[in-house]
Amino acid sequence: MPEKEVIIIGGGAAGLAAAVACKQKGIEDILIIERGDYLGGILNQCIHDGFGLEKFHTSLSGPEYAQKYINQVMDKKIPFLLNSMVVNLTPQKEVIVVNNNGLQHYRAKVIILAMGCRERTRGAIGIPGARPAGIYTAGVAQELINLKDYMVGEKIVILGSGDIGLIMARRLTLEGAEVVLVAEKLPYSSGLPRNINQCLYDFDIPLLLSHTVVDIEGNGRLSGVTIAQLGKRGGIIPGSKRKIVCDTLLLSVGLIPENELSREAGIVLDPITGGPQVDERGQTGVPGIFACGNVLQVHDIVDNVSLEAEYIVEGVTEYLEGRLTREPEIKIELGEGLRYVVPQKLIYRKDTIFSFRVNQPGEKKILIFEDGKKAIKKKSFPRVNPAEMIRVKLSSAELEGIKILKVKLVSL
Amino acid sequence: MKREFICIICPKGCRISAEYEGTDIKNIIGDKCLKGKDYVKNEITNPLRIFTGSVLVENGDFPLVSVKTSSPIPKKYLKKIGEITRRIKVEAPIEIGQVVAKNLVSEDINLIATRKVNIINK
Repeated sequence: MPEKEVIIIGGGAAGLAAAVACKQKGIEDILIIERGDYLGGILNQCIHDGFGLEKFHTSLSGPEYAQKYINQVMDKKIPFLLNSMVVNLTPQKEVIVVNNNGLQHYRAKVIILAMGCRERTRGAIGIPGARPAGIYTAGVAQELINLKDYMVGEKIVILGSGDIGLIMARRLTLEGAEVVLVAEKLPYSSGLPRNINQCLYDFDIPLLLSHTVVDIEGNGRLSGVTIAQLGKRGGIIPGSKRKIVCDTLLLSVGLIPENELSREAGIVLDPITGGPQVDERGQTGVPGIFACGNVLQVHDIVDNVSLEAEYIVEGVTEYLEGRLTREPEIKIELGEGLRYVVPQKLIYRKDTIFSFRVNQPGEKKILIFEDGKKAIKKKSFPRVNPAEMIRVKLSSAELEGIKILKVKLVSL
Repeated sequence: MKREFICIICPKGCRISAEYEGTDIKNIIGDKCLKGKDYVKNEITNPLRIFTGSVLVENGDFPLVSVKTSSPIPKKYLKKIGEITRRIKVEAPIEIGQVVAKNLVSEDINLIATRKVNIINK
C-alpha cells in the first residue's frame, strides 16, 4: 500500500490552501484527492466578485481566487488526482479511492478532511405538494447557469435567503429571468447584508421575511407555489396564503458539511455545526485526522476557509514532528447568545482562533471568555448577525493555567 | 435627507449614515475606511457596481467563460450589459484578464475573462 505523509481529501478552497501551506512548511509527500473534473471546487461556479479581499487585498471572482491557489499547486508540483472519489476512510488513516484505474489503497500519516459541504434539499425541509420539474437548489442552478450553459427558468421564486440564493437572484436577473420574490422563513435574512443590498435591492426584488412556501403545483413543469406568512412561533398565519405563478423554485435553505467519510472513520461530529468536533489545532477525535473549511463548519467568506486551512496546517506540522504535547482536555462551555463554537475542546493551550455563530441578530454585544472565576478576554461588537461568523484569537498566555473555559455573548 | 447605507465593498458590510439633499452631501458618519466613504459618495451621486457574468465560448473545455467589467460601472447599465453578454461568443483559448469585449454601452466599459479556458482537442 503506498504511504503518503499527508493526504488531503478534497481539492476545493480548503484543500488547495492546506496543500500549499503543507508544502510551505516543508512537507514534501502530499496527495490531493479530488472527486470532480477540476481543482477549485465550488469556487469555479462562483463567478461573482468579492472574494480575496482579506487574503489578496483585491476583489476577485471565484475562478480567479481558485486559480491563485491552483497556480501555486502547479508551481510547487503538488500531486493531485482528479475524478477520484474516496469511498472509505479508516481510523488507521487508510483510504480507498475509486477512479478510472479502479480501486487504489493509500495510507497516510496525516489525513486532512476538506470535503466541503452540500445543500439541503426539498426533501430535507419537507415542502408538500406536487413533484414537477423546475425545482433546484440554488447551488445546482448556479452550476447549470455558470458552468453548463443551461438556463433553469424564466419566472423564479427563491426560498431561503442564504448567500447563494441572493447571488442567484442577481445572476438570474442579469440573464434575463424575472425573480418574483425571495421568501425567508426566519424574521431575519441568513445572508450577508451586503448581498441583500447588491443582489436584491439593486434590482427591486422583494425579500419577504417570516414567509415560506407551503405548496407546490405543476403537472410536468412547475406552474406555481403557495407562500404563507409565519407567526412568531413559526405557524402559518391564517388568511396569509397566496399563490405565486412561477416556472422555477430555487432553494437556498442551508448547507450541510459532507461528513460521511468522517463518520466511517469513527470521528465524532458536533450536532450543531455538522462538522467534526476538533481541538484547537483542527484535529478530530482520531489522532492525525484534521479538518478545515466547510466540512468543519460552514463559512460565509472563502478567505476564512483559506485562513482556517493554513491555521490547521500548523497543527499538522506539529503532529508530524511529535510536538503536540497534550495538557488535560478542556471542553469549552457555551453560554447564552451563541449557537456554536469551533474548536469544541482545548488540548494544547496554544494560540487559538475561536469561531462562533450567534443565535440571533443583535446590537451592542460583548463576547466574554471566562475561566470559571474571572473574565480572561472580552470583545465588543456594535452588531452581531447569525450570517456572519465571529472569529476571535486567544494567545497561549491568555489560556495558560485555565481549568475551565466558558464563553457567552451578552448585551453591553 | 438622512439615510443609512450598507457598504458592499467588503464582507464587513459597515452601516454608514449620510445626510444629503439631492447629490449635495452634508455629512457622512460611521465610515471605517476610505473605501466606505467613497462607496457612500458614489451611491448618492452615481452608484457603481462591478458587472459579473459569463459569455459563450467556441472550442473550449468549458462552454462558458466567466467575465467581469475591468472597473466598476454605473449601476443603471447592469441589465443592459447582461443583455449584451448573452449575445457574445469568444474563441478558446482564453486567459484570465484577457479582454473579451470592448466599449460596451459607453466607451470605457470592457469585459475581461476571469477564468482560463483551454482549447478542446477535437
